[in-house]
Amino acid sequence: MRTALSRGGEWAELFWERHHVLTLRLDDRRIEDAISGTEQGAGIRVVSGERTTYANGNVSDTDDVLAIAGRAAAWVAGEGATAASPQAARPDQLSRPSAVRIDPRSVPIERKVALLRHVDEVARATDPRITQVTASYAESVQDVLVANSEGLHRTDVRVRLGLQVLCVATEGEVLGSGFEALRGTEGFELFGEDAVDTLARAAARRAALNVAAEPAPAGTFTVVLSSEAGGTLIHESVGHGLEADLNLKGLSVYSGRIGEKVASELITVLDDGTVPSKRGTAAMDDEGQQTRRTVLIERGILRTYLSDRKHAAKLGIERSGNARRESFRHLPICRMTNTMIAPGTSDPAEIVRSVKDGIFVKKMGGGQVDVVSGNFAFEISECYRIRDGTVAEPLRGATLVGQGPKLMSEIDMVGRDLGWSTGTCGKDDQAAPVADAQPTIRIPSVVVGGTVA
Amino acid sequence: MSGRLGNGDAVEAALDALRRGGIRTGDVYLRDSTAGRVEVKDGAIEAVTTSGERGIGVRIVEDARPGFAYTSDLTTGGIAACVEAARAMARVTEADPDLRIATEAPGTADLAIHEDGLADRPLPSRAEVAFAVERAARAHDERITGFRNTTYSDAEATTIIATTAGARGTYRETSFRASTAAVATQDGERQIGWHTEGGRRFDAISPDAVGRRAAELAVRKLGARPLETQRMAVLLDPWMGQQLLAAIAPLFSAENVLKGRSLFAGKTGQHVASDGVTIVDDPRLPGGMRSAPFDGEGIATRRRVLVDRGVLAGYLHSLKTASKTGTRPTGNARRGSYSGPAQIAPANLHVAVGADEPSDLARRVDRALAVTTLLNLHTIDPISGEFSLGAAGDVLERGERAYPVQGITIAGNLTHLLASIAGMGSDLTFGPSGIGSPTLLISELSIGGTSR
Repeated sequence: MRTALSRGGEWAELFWERHHVLTLRLDDRRIEDAISGTEQGAGIRVVSGERTTYANGNVSDTDDVLAIAGRAAAWVAGEGATAASPQAARPDQLSRPSAVRIDPRSVPIERKVALLRHVDEVARATDPRITQVTASYAESVQDVLVANSEGLHRTDVRVRLGLQVLCVATEGEVLGSGFEALRGTEGFELFGEDAVDTLARAAARRAALNVAAEPAPAGTFTVVLSSEAGGTLIHESVGHGLEADLNLKGLSVYSGRIGEKVASELITVLDDGTVPSKRGTAAMDDEGQQTRRTVLIERGILRTYLSDRKHAAKLGIERSGNARRESFRHLPICRMTNTMIAPGTSDPAEIVRSVKDGIFVKKMGGGQVDVVSGNFAFEISECYRIRDGTVAEPLRGATLVGQGPKLMSEIDMVGRDLGWSTGTCGKDDQAAPVADAQPTIRIPSVVVGGTVA
Repeated sequence: MSGRLGNGDAVEAALDALRRGGIRTGDVYLRDSTAGRVEVKDGAIEAVTTSGERGIGVRIVEDARPGFAYTSDLTTGGIAACVEAARAMARVTEADPDLRIATEAPGTADLAIHEDGLADRPLPSRAEVAFAVERAARAHDERITGFRNTTYSDAEATTIIATTAGARGTYRETSFRASTAAVATQDGERQIGWHTEGGRRFDAISPDAVGRRAAELAVRKLGARPLETQRMAVLLDPWMGQQLLAAIAPLFSAENVLKGRSLFAGKTGQHVASDGVTIVDDPRLPGGMRSAPFDGEGIATRRRVLVDRGVLAGYLHSLKTASKTGTRPTGNARRGSYSGPAQIAPANLHVAVGADEPSDLARRVDRALAVTTLLNLHTIDPISGEFSLGAAGDVLERGERAYPVQGITIAGNLTHLLASIAGMGSDLTFGPSGIGSPTLLISELSIGGTSR
């Protein structure tokens, strides 16, 4: 800290991490890739007036860290700002929301390989049309230390595991694919036999269903999103627009609207980095701030944004513990952890019965949003036609597009259930593990992009 | 402390560790890079970042089984542990008799991908590029009211590859980039336009061009309205064409072809695109953003025609897929960093330049959708070729801009799309990822929008 502030600056911070990675990939019944890696690095940030300087690099010892601190300080020089004196470190420890009962590093690699082979067998046995199975195991253990010139000194260990499977079903010339993932911030206990079998069967069943599905229509429809569909919708249509950095610049469709009605009163939106074992969970964010549960939209009224240190101060809102960075190579940015639409009161089955002609979305895929206009698009990986209140034939190749605030104000039924999904969010070229959740909801009118015009 | 090794010594230490471990087949890839980035806002520097990255990746083949490990700990002990980790990985993978390493030096080539003096360039000179981008955007249209972020960045890297068979190569490269996301405002409506350009020399990036195009994209979207569901001709400008080409690039991977994961599998010698379409991968393009003398396995790169006047001429290969198919490796096993094994990918993939004036292409059809935004390109299915993308753009009537539209989808199948390319412009342009395209006219696609 002394070196970082040696040439001026009011505040400095060290982010250090050691990251262990193991990836195994099974493809076409063979373990094709086995990758093991360790990386250690640090990033040092100095804030001087309106300017932030950040230096980072791989480190093996204290000399390396000091060299980086010197590089960070070099860019501050010439600003004429007076240097703050760092306060003595006050190490403390936050309790971790996710228990890790079985450290994955203690599990023999052969068991991880066996897990992939089991997934392959279960998926192939689910349906005779399954012609290809790709499965991968991803293990990530990130040891983090954050210290700053105000005396904060905290560590965290994020153990994140993932098992994902992609199945391809073939019928004649037609191919259909099905993807499913089991991911969380917890130990190897995540991969209980039932959970793994369910995962493999779900991916296989979806591939088989898509191979026989009719091409989706294009046009405007009433859409019911099942809670099982996962939360891509809330993530893309609302979540990104609530990140404080965009709002400070006045660029989000939600900018300057705290206290205003921005969604139907049936809609309450939360971000919660403390939900045990979920993929976006951690004890602290990447500025050392304890994670928490934040109500973003309460019965349609905008309450606050997802913030980091800088943007919370500038916007005059409470820090929400949402400063996240992909690694020591990046400055932290405001982003989601585990984001959800809170459950409502309707019976999910009743919501489907209420639709005469529409589309029932059972699984969502990836999505993307333009936060300035609010326009978003997301892929649907499993959906059906609804005819006279009943789920009818499966459809393939559909995308939903819309505008976030408009869609959120139009939702007219919210179920009492809640379903989770996991993903890897991309923002400003940084990836972050996230989870999303939502109840079953009804959107009276939304554009569905299919091939049948 | 330390015992930290220089680049050449680190590579030697890894080869030594391989030899001492009795591993006869393996390669070592080292990358040492420094990068700088300046983010500005309204004429002031907001953030300056300087990054260093240095590490090795070790790939081994033991009893025909592959193993891969990487580390940023470039001490003798750290490197030995990395080799040991790679060996542990090779114990659980399946044998593959087609795994190979490079056996001869790839040679050198002057590809104009390195510029001296980057380290000495002062901060004000770097920041000025970003300031100039902001100024150009504001000067282009007074409705530009701000920016999401405007950045200048540069990087210099050294890459070394060495194999246990004695092949060894090294090269240095620099890259420069400027980008902005300009925001246009009118009557309470806000639209954003993003643009980035890259080059291998500092002077190769034009701040003016970056600012102008970002501003133009944002302003053009103002007043965008919905569009009715219909079938319509689609015009992709070079930047949109690049995005489409990037999305279809995986179809050319021999790995995907061999595994039945590409709709180009078994199609060599057949028509996969309309007659006039030629697609080339040129890793030797002077100053190309992905130009390199050799690939991530140490194989010399070479220019290749992948689609010749509509006919599929070949695939992109690694050593392994070349061995499996009895062909020569093509130098397309690329590596982005030391922390991952090589993956098959193109270098400077591009659609060859066409003969038509872009404005003539637009006038060739009564109505067309000129696309300015494509969302969800990552969801295109490479096996079935099906796609359904979020989009925004302008409706053109007899080549003239009639009105902007948003909240629509463009859906179809890649096979059909490639066969429907009805014209190519004379304006071939390369983007910051090395992908190039001229303006493309697609005769008809399905547009999803309002009403049925």
